[in-house]
Order: sequence, then C-alpha cells, then structure tokens
Amino acid sequence: MLEQPLLKIDKLRKSFGARAVLHDLSFAVATNEVYGLLGPNGAGKTTTINILGNLLAADAGVVTIDAQPPSEATKHFIGVAPQEIALYENLTCEQNLKFFASLYGLDSATRERRVRDLIEQFHLQEYRHTAAATLSGGWKRRLNIAVALIHSPKLLVLDEPTVGLDVEARHELWELIRALQASGVSILLTTHDLDEAERLCSRLGILQSGSLVAEGTLEELRKLVPAEELAIISTEDQDAVHRRADTLQLACRYYGKDLTLLLPRKHSLKEVVDMLDGISLHSVSLQSVRLEQVYMEVTREIPKP
Amino acid sequence: MPQQNYLNEILAVAARILTELRQTRRALMMWAIFPAAMLLLFGLIYAGDGSTQRSFDATAPGILIGAALFFSCLSGPVSTIVAERERRTLRRLLLSPLRASAYFLGIVLAYLAIALGQTLIVYGIAFFFGGKFHGSLLLGAVIVLLSVASYVGLGFFFGARLARRTEDATGPIAAVGVPLLVLGGTFFPTSILPKYLLAVAYADPVFHMNEALRAVSAKAAPLADVRLHVIFLFAFAIFTLMLGVNSYKKMLRQEKHA
Repeated sequence: MLEQPLLKIDKLRKSFGARAVLHDLSFAVATNEVYGLLGPNGAGKTTTINILGNLLAADAGVVTIDAQPPSEATKHFIGVAPQEIALYENLTCEQNLKFFASLYGLDSATRERRVRDLIEQFHLQEYRHTAAATLSGGWKRRLNIAVALIHSPKLLVLDEPTVGLDVEARHELWELIRALQASGVSILLTTHDLDEAERLCSRLGILQSGSLVAEGTLEELRKLVPAEELAIISTEDQDAVHRRADTLQLACRYYGKDLTLLLPRKHSLKEVVDMLDGISLHSVSLQSVRLEQVYMEVTREIPKP
Repeated sequence: MPQQNYLNEILAVAARILTELRQTRRALMMWAIFPAAMLLLFGLIYAGDGSTQRSFDATAPGILIGAALFFSCLSGPVSTIVAERERRTLRRLLLSPLRASAYFLGIVLAYLAIALGQTLIVYGIAFFFGGKFHGSLLLGAVIVLLSVASYVGLGFFFGARLARRTEDATGPIAAVGVPLLVLGGTFFPTSILPKYLLAVAYADPVFHMNEALRAVSAKAAPLADVRLHVIFLFAFAIFTLMLGVNSYKKMLRQEKHA
C-alpha cells in the first residue's frame, strides 16, 4: 500500500437500485504517477469518476483526494478530461480555456498566465483564435485535456483520451501525457487501449464487475499469466494441439480467437514447431506475455458478487 | 485555492452565451434581423398609404413580444440547455465548482441582455418611422421583464424535460407557440377576433403580454388599466420559473447519474 497517496479509494461500494456497480473497490494513486484503470464497459469506471468528482455519493467505503473526502472544495484538486469531447464548439480555444478558468475562480492575472502556458504546452498557438468546431479530432482532444488542466489540478483524470484518433495523433498525445507526468501531475487513466496502458502507466488496476481483479506494475501483472513466453498457433486441427499440450504438460488458452500455448521457458521457433510435429500448422509465432493476455486471463470467469 | 465568487460565475455563464451568439451568425440573424424585418413589413403594411407613425406605434409591441422575445427567450434557453447536454459540456460544468443556481441565473441574465438588445432594435426602427413609446418606461420594462421571465421559465421546462436533441424542441415549440402568437394578437389586433376566440385568448399568456405592452406603449395606459394583464403575467412568470427550476433540478440529477 502506498504511504501517502494523492488519491485513496478503500472498499468503495455503490449500487443503483438492486444493481451493484462498485463492490469493495480499493486502489490508490501516488503523487506523480500514471495509474491505469482498465476494464470492460459497465465495469464501474465512470461511476468511480463521478464519485471522485462529487457528482455521486458512495454507499460505503472511503475516498480521499489529498486527504480530503470528495466535496465541492476537492473539485479544485481534480481535472477531468471526459471521453466525449466536451467543448463549446463556437468558442475559440482561448475562449474555452478562459471560460473554464473563470468557473474555477482564477483571478485575471492567473487566468491569463494559465491560458498562455497551456496554449504553449499543448502547442495550440496556431489555433488560439480558431473555433473549436473547426479543429481536427487530435487538436480537439488536446484542447479537451488542456481545459481539464486550467485550474492546475493535482490529479488529472483522463477518460479514454485517445479514442478515435489516428496513429500519429495518438503518439503525439501520449508524448503530452508523459510530459504532464514529468511536470508533476498525477494521472488516473481509464482506457480500453491496452497498448496505451502498457506505454503510459506505471501501475495498473483491472476492474471487473465493480472490483479490482488484478493490480500492480506491468511486470507484476505479467506474472499472472503462467508462462514465460506464448506460442500463438494457427491450425485447422486444434484438438491435436490440445492433445499434444496435454502430453507435454503445457497449458493451452484461447486469448480471443488465438489458440495459445503457454511456455514455461523461452524456446526457439524451431523447438516449438518440433513440439507440434505431425500437426498440420498454418503458422506459429512466439511472443512475450503482454497486457492483453493478462487482461483476458484475469477477467475470464470471475464469479459475480 | 482560488476564491469562488457567485456573481463572477453568473457573469461568466452569461458572457459565454453572448460570445457564442456573437460568433454564430445564424442565431444573430434569427434574433436581430427577423424581428426587424417583421416590424418593417407589418408597420408598412398597416400604414398603407397613410402615416407610419400610428402603424409602428401599434405594431412595435406585438413584434417585440411575438417575433423577438418569443424566439430568443423561449427557443434560446431550449437551445442552450439541449446543446449543453448534446455536447456533454453540462457534465463538464457539473464537475467544475460552478453552482447550479449560478448557471441558471447566468442563462437568465444572458437572455435578459438579448431582450434588451431586441427592445432597442425594435423601438429604434419604430422611432425611425415616427413611432414612439408613449407610456411609462418603467411599466413597459416590468411587462417586458415578466414576459422574458415567462419565456425563459418555459424554455427551461422544454429544454430540460422534453428535448434531448435540438430537433426535438423545434417541433413542439412551433406547434404550440405559433398558434399562441397568432391568438395572442402578435401580428394583428385582437379586436378582429370573433368573441369565442377572444374568450380563448384570455388563457393565452401572449395575449396578456401583447395587450399590456400595446396599451402602455401605444396608448400611454397607466397601471390601473393594465393591472389584470400584469397580475396574470406575474402569476404566469412565477409558475413558469418554478416549473423551469424544477425541470432543471431534475435534469441535473439525471445527468449526475448518467
């Protein structure tokens, strides 16, 4: 457990009627950390954000943001960049930033300085006086995040920050997120993009049915898949692969549609093909354990609370 | 932590709406050019070959109530609230320290400013053609204020309860609103209505807005002459504002759970 986390959630519970959305959820985000909260739709990510933002009250459990429970005051500590781009389309980049600055009570000098700094930090100089409606998706995403930072929050919540972006824009935004972390902002990142989570997060929590089913650094999470290496096998005769795996005392899994052999140590490709001698194969490839396999490993057949 | 200031929050919301309006030419056309064009047309038609003074005296109040304030102060809040939900900015506002009542009052203030601008446009044109505001300016301002409050309250109700998309709102407003405008004597005097329709018109708030403002503006009627209209409007404005606030609160609760 972290000693003095910026955000601490302990045994959080929330139900809507008979439907339990959060069930003893616990995790913490340290200062200057990017914490990834992963999970399928409906796992409870948005409800968690709504409780942090003081939009919803928890039924039970403890939430503290910089040692304070969520309140109107803690709204000054958190900046939320929602998944859907939430901007005033007819206002320019500068006008959007200034409007939100005034809602947070920034005085005129601070407002001007923050707007100038964020426009520079997010490379929005060229679009300063451009209406948000005419920006491309990538620039809108930048502005969407910049607005969430206008009041210099201690914790930035990024909800699916790169959804719908092309590869180049995604990489640019990842660079920005890394730069934000380097500048001292703590980030809670919710994403479906496991590649993104691998690249950005120092620790990750996997949420399912309202509680964490796994948590740790990427290295710690990789150990949840009982393999040193994975062999992805494409064949018409999958039964034969299962029988061979039994003979060799190796575990077999389906990660999505991929039939995967879990290898307890590193092998060469030739060794793996030799293991499967006599079975008609389309292809075999080797790869190390990735977050994608961890995610599927820990989210399958979890008993419901 | 920066100091939150209630008045600043109201002003920020109002300024944002007015800035958006300034940058949206279509809305500006609707709210400035449409009433100006309607006033010119009706003023000139009623003048015929005679003096424009009397016709503009008589048409300016109806055009202000029906062609200007109706579209700005009723349709405006509907568009503002629906757009806020559609663009997901409402959720962003809820996550900010902005107080719900400051947001409500900011919208009211913005549309009051627009109403003032429209009043100046309509009466500016009327003055150009020899028309005048003959009665008490204070009484006229009270009638306009009650009309704006009624429209804004209804706007909140339609926007918060009935419309999820902008297109959802335009149909009901046109279907209910335009007949009320016609029945209320916006475009012609209610003296030409048959008796049974006149009886129905008494239940139409637009009728009371038009009758009261026309009497004060064109005939310099004192409060005593229009007191029944003013009482009706006062009660109607309170009712619609309560309806609007209630719908708004319900909408915020739903949005927090979304």
